[in-house]
Amino acid sequence: MADKRVEIYVGASSLVTCLGNRPATLDAIYRAESGLQYSERYGMYVGECRVASLPGFTRFESFVLHTLRKFAGQSDLPLNSPDLQLILSTTKGNVELLAEGCQEIDKRAFLYGSAQRIAQEIGAVHAPIVISNACISGVSAFVVAQDILLSKAQKHVVIVGCDVLSEFITSGFASFRSISPQPCRPYDAERDGLTLGEACGALLLTTEPQYATRPMVRLEGGAITNDANHISGPSRTGDGLYYAISQAMQQANAVPDDVAFVNTHGTATRYNDEMESKALAWAELCSVPLNSLKGYIGHTLGASGVVETILCVEQLRRGVIAATKGYRSSDVPHKLCLSDKPQTISGECCVKSASGFGGCNAAIVLRLSDEESAKLNMPPKRECREVARYALPQSEKPFAEFIRAEFKQLGRSDMRFYKMSDLSKALYVAVERLLEQSPWEDVEPRRRAIVLANRASSLDTDAEHQRILDARLSEGASPAVFVYTLPNVAAGEMCIKHKIQGDNTFFVGDKCPAILEDYAQHLIGYDRADAVICGWCDYLGGEWNVEIEMLRCQK
Amino acid sequence: MEQLIQELKEHLIEELNLEEITPEDIDAEAPLFGDGLGLDSIDALEIILILEKYYGVKLANSAEAKPVFYSVKTLAEYVMQNRK
Repeated sequence: MADKRVEIYVGASSLVTCLGNRPATLDAIYRAESGLQYSERYGMYVGECRVASLPGFTRFESFVLHTLRKFAGQSDLPLNSPDLQLILSTTKGNVELLAEGCQEIDKRAFLYGSAQRIAQEIGAVHAPIVISNACISGVSAFVVAQDILLSKAQKHVVIVGCDVLSEFITSGFASFRSISPQPCRPYDAERDGLTLGEACGALLLTTEPQYATRPMVRLEGGAITNDANHISGPSRTGDGLYYAISQAMQQANAVPDDVAFVNTHGTATRYNDEMESKALAWAELCSVPLNSLKGYIGHTLGASGVVETILCVEQLRRGVIAATKGYRSSDVPHKLCLSDKPQTISGECCVKSASGFGGCNAAIVLRLSDEESAKLNMPPKRECREVARYALPQSEKPFAEFIRAEFKQLGRSDMRFYKMSDLSKALYVAVERLLEQSPWEDVEPRRRAIVLANRASSLDTDAEHQRILDARLSEGASPAVFVYTLPNVAAGEMCIKHKIQGDNTFFVGDKCPAILEDYAQHLIGYDRADAVICGWCDYLGGEWNVEIEMLRCQK
Repeated sequence: MEQLIQELKEHLIEELNLEEITPEDIDAEAPLFGDGLGLDSIDALEIILILEKYYGVKLANSAEAKPVFYSVKTLAEYVMQNRK
């Protein structure tokens, strides 16, 4: 007999965007008012926030703490509850600290240290979980939270997503020529790139209905996939995003008619919006009302999935979705149900999606329903076992020399290897060796997953990108360097190389976090993958530590 | 022209991390993208930077200039016509 699934309810939330706090942001988006303004400092349109710095904390940390304090004022559940897990979603955290002369990396730039300071300040009982999965980080956090709650490891999860603007980020996106000279125009025929923003959002997911806010909204599905196609360019087919949406809808037992609206990533780059229209066509969601919120608050990176999901919950409750700011008429390959005016919606579900560098996609399904029970079942639990393990040896040689020799020994003529970041190179060799021990040709690409964690995130490449900026070369940043300033891009390289189209989540911790093994095992246990490469992959300043294992379903 | 082609090959090898490849390995008339050197869209952005850095030649984006990016020879011709 199938086990009944635990219900996951949306609880209290708070957020700050360039339009202000949650009520102010909601008012503005329904009036179609954008918060994007031209910034002399960055030389582009951005969505900037005013953040009062707290003594002893960085701007990023202060932003998170302000938002969590507002959250605490809204929530009946205290942040120091022993049943509460905190998840921080961020792509770059305190990376702006690298700018102040980066001979040595500022210790506060480590994402996990930052999360620990925040957790300590709010009195969190458990060690925080950090997810750094490029632009899908926020939506990823919901997928990971869902796993924690469904497996009954915890009763409540607070997801906080935050990223702040810095020249580090603006120059990198500029090097990709993906910044619009005007406020971004998602899906519009004249769209010509994205607009960056900064924001912070916090939201409670709980298994106890007394902490649910009303009218009740449940998280019923969530999935992460990879295009296995390109580390920076969106898929030309949209199949990766489609696969994430369809898995999430399947978990929620939702069909297209149940979907009231879709809130996509909608960054307003030519290729992203085109790709999304193809994914929505596959998912038969083209005739469902759709919007993108980027024209109001910009692309807020690791915060976007959290902040936009909070706004989705409110739009679902009101039965009206905001206009897509900047949109007039579209030229994407499939006609979508977009509007420059608010649209009335009918149906219970909202699909929220995101896609990012490293080829990753994530989608979740929220359902508005007064019934306390969704009557969803858990898939029958499957057992998994470790079938192989590989640790990259240590060496007296410098890393470049060492890894080159290791690569030569593999006997591959793969030009791509030489272009990769050192973190990616270390992972490349380890994964090749692991797959020698345990080949996985019998596993479909969509049933393969890679779940990793490390301590230094992508700080090694971050410092290199910063050095290029400090040298003030007239040509600006290097796109070939900037693309690796996200740790999950190393996993993305492996997804392309070994056709991994399933889950690809990247955690950051001071040591191997318990969630890594749990999450990887649950991918198999709850039938979301048949084989998972999981483990630790850390590289910084010539020192490496890579140890990975292969998990398989026990037949 | 020959010297410029040689120079461009060296810049490409250096800036695009084409280890294991020597200038002689690159056929100046063969397509740069696709199978040959395994270059992709990020490399295209880097090539725009190379043209700017070494020759002061500006290109708005790689899509506009597809024919220019066809081979090392077409790159060299473009530089000859537009260098300052």
